[in-house]
Amino acid sequence: MSAIKRIFGLLWTVMGVGIIPLVIMQAMKEIAAKPSEENWIFWSIVIVVLMPIIAFSLITFGIFALKGEYDVIA
Amino acid sequence: MAQNVTNVSHTEEVSSTRRVIAASSVGTLIEWYDFYIFGTLAKIISEQFFPKDNPTAALLATLATFAAGFVIRPFGALFFGRLGDLIGRKYTFLVTLVIMGGSTFAIGLVPGYKTIGFFAPAIVFILRLLQGLALGGEYGGAATYVAEHSPEGKRGFWTSFIQTTATLGLFLALGVILTVRQMLGVETFTDWGWRIPFILSALLVGVSIFIRMRMSESPLFAKMKKEGKTSANPLAESFKQKDNLKMVLIALLGATAGQGVVWYTGQFYALSFLQNACNIEFVQSNIIISIALLIGTPFFIVFGALSDKIGRKYIMMAGMLIAVIAYRPIYTIMYNDANLKTKEVIEDKTVNKMKYEVKGTDSLITSVTTKLYTDGTSYKETVKKKFPVDPAVKAAMPKDKLKPETKKEVTLPQNLYYKMIGLVLIQVIFVTMVYGPIAAFLVEIFPTRIRYTSMSLPYHIGNGVFGGLVPLISTRLVEATRPAADLPPADPLAGLWYPILIAGVSFVIGSLYISNKTNNLDVE
Repeated sequence: MSAIKRIFGLLWTVMGVGIIPLVIMQAMKEIAAKPSEENWIFWSIVIVVLMPIIAFSLITFGIFALKGEYDVIA
Repeated sequence: MAQNVTNVSHTEEVSSTRRVIAASSVGTLIEWYDFYIFGTLAKIISEQFFPKDNPTAALLATLATFAAGFVIRPFGALFFGRLGDLIGRKYTFLVTLVIMGGSTFAIGLVPGYKTIGFFAPAIVFILRLLQGLALGGEYGGAATYVAEHSPEGKRGFWTSFIQTTATLGLFLALGVILTVRQMLGVETFTDWGWRIPFILSALLVGVSIFIRMRMSESPLFAKMKKEGKTSANPLAESFKQKDNLKMVLIALLGATAGQGVVWYTGQFYALSFLQNACNIEFVQSNIIISIALLIGTPFFIVFGALSDKIGRKYIMMAGMLIAVIAYRPIYTIMYNDANLKTKEVIEDKTVNKMKYEVKGTDSLITSVTTKLYTDGTSYKETVKKKFPVDPAVKAAMPKDKLKPETKKEVTLPQNLYYKMIGLVLIQVIFVTMVYGPIAAFLVEIFPTRIRYTSMSLPYHIGNGVFGGLVPLISTRLVEATRPAADLPPADPLAGLWYPILIAGVSFVIGSLYISNKTNNLDVE
């Protein structure tokens, strides 16, 4: 079980890192296609609020899992 | 004799715990009520304070909706959580109640944009932020306070009463709004009657403050304070110490993120889907949700109590998994049952009415079409076209300003109406599975000295950010499938991918990394 937890740790880290360019590129693409106020507000919320939370928490959690910090949970 | 003394002592303990639960739950319920009436009356508030033709006011409206929901709530969690771990649970969540009640009452008194101009949206915006701040501090305090009063082995049961308050708060808000609207009539309600639910909050909060003032401090916190074991810096201890940060992350990713999206989907997205994708008439859609919430609410307590017996993790994870699997089939049935394209219209029952009137310098053409279908469904389409009487002014106006306003209203027959209640109820049951045991789960994974701070942040990020974004992201996903602006979306269920993805990831993380065993709340 500990090995699975650690392997998944790598997955969470990769997901956390990968989401940053993915979201930014999508935002740039959509805003360039339609630079409306609605688009700006939506992507600002995603980039300023949601993305940092997902990226930071997944990367930190993934690194902890990879290091075996979650092998034993109280 | 000894047996009698034990029985009396047990009865007193139960009675005291009941008082704690009642006092905490009433206050939390009122806070949710205060928070929801703003959201429920968003359209009227927008017309009164945030006129669309003023871009700054319109921006403030957007910020008031989103900022209070997910930016400010986590800040409230940090601010009041820290206070709660430093000075105590009782006074902290008393303060949050006063702030919430005061802000809500004040919103009801703020003069409209027509009277005081830009000050109106600015004041309402600040008051809405205060509401978000107070809500961020309230829940963690109430859950911690009740949990620290609860006997071992019953914590899931006792804290589940706090879990019912969010749903009952929404129910109360809908109930008060519909009642006042019914009593005053739509026109008077839109004019000034909408203020009543806000002003009424002062009375509810006053009663709740009186009850809470008579409560004593949490026994665990009082003991810890007496022994000088309280944390000097709860924020640093919660988020800078690896052992605690690990648990904050696991609480967020493995539990509250998934719980937040399941909760918002079952309670809010379901209503929005009924009204916007299925075009179910306003009152009928609200009644469908209200009845499902009312029937589903006791299940918070059922699953809270069950979590004391079989563990918190299994119930929460089962709730997430079933939700992930069942959402698309449930919403497909909901959509098909209201889809007029699959129904047969009774031609001779179709009625068209048209009215032309002049209002000031504008002409207004209102066309109403009503149809009846063989399965008993009725449909009403109202098209309003407003344009200047003067042809020269009309010719100079941009085309989008002349676009007619269309309102579609589907009223379901009794059998489909009951079926729809059943389908929403199933989603509410998912909510109760993930949300019922979560307060007990969160309080048990953090030590008493930093519990208020540590549990409040993942809760409000999970619910405020991950859950609070369900309407925004889901609407966006549906819109992305629309082939052209004037055509319907190709996949009206695309909005479900966001809650499915978040709940799915949360399920995997929770299943792998969360322990199913329940912990004691000792003063370490």
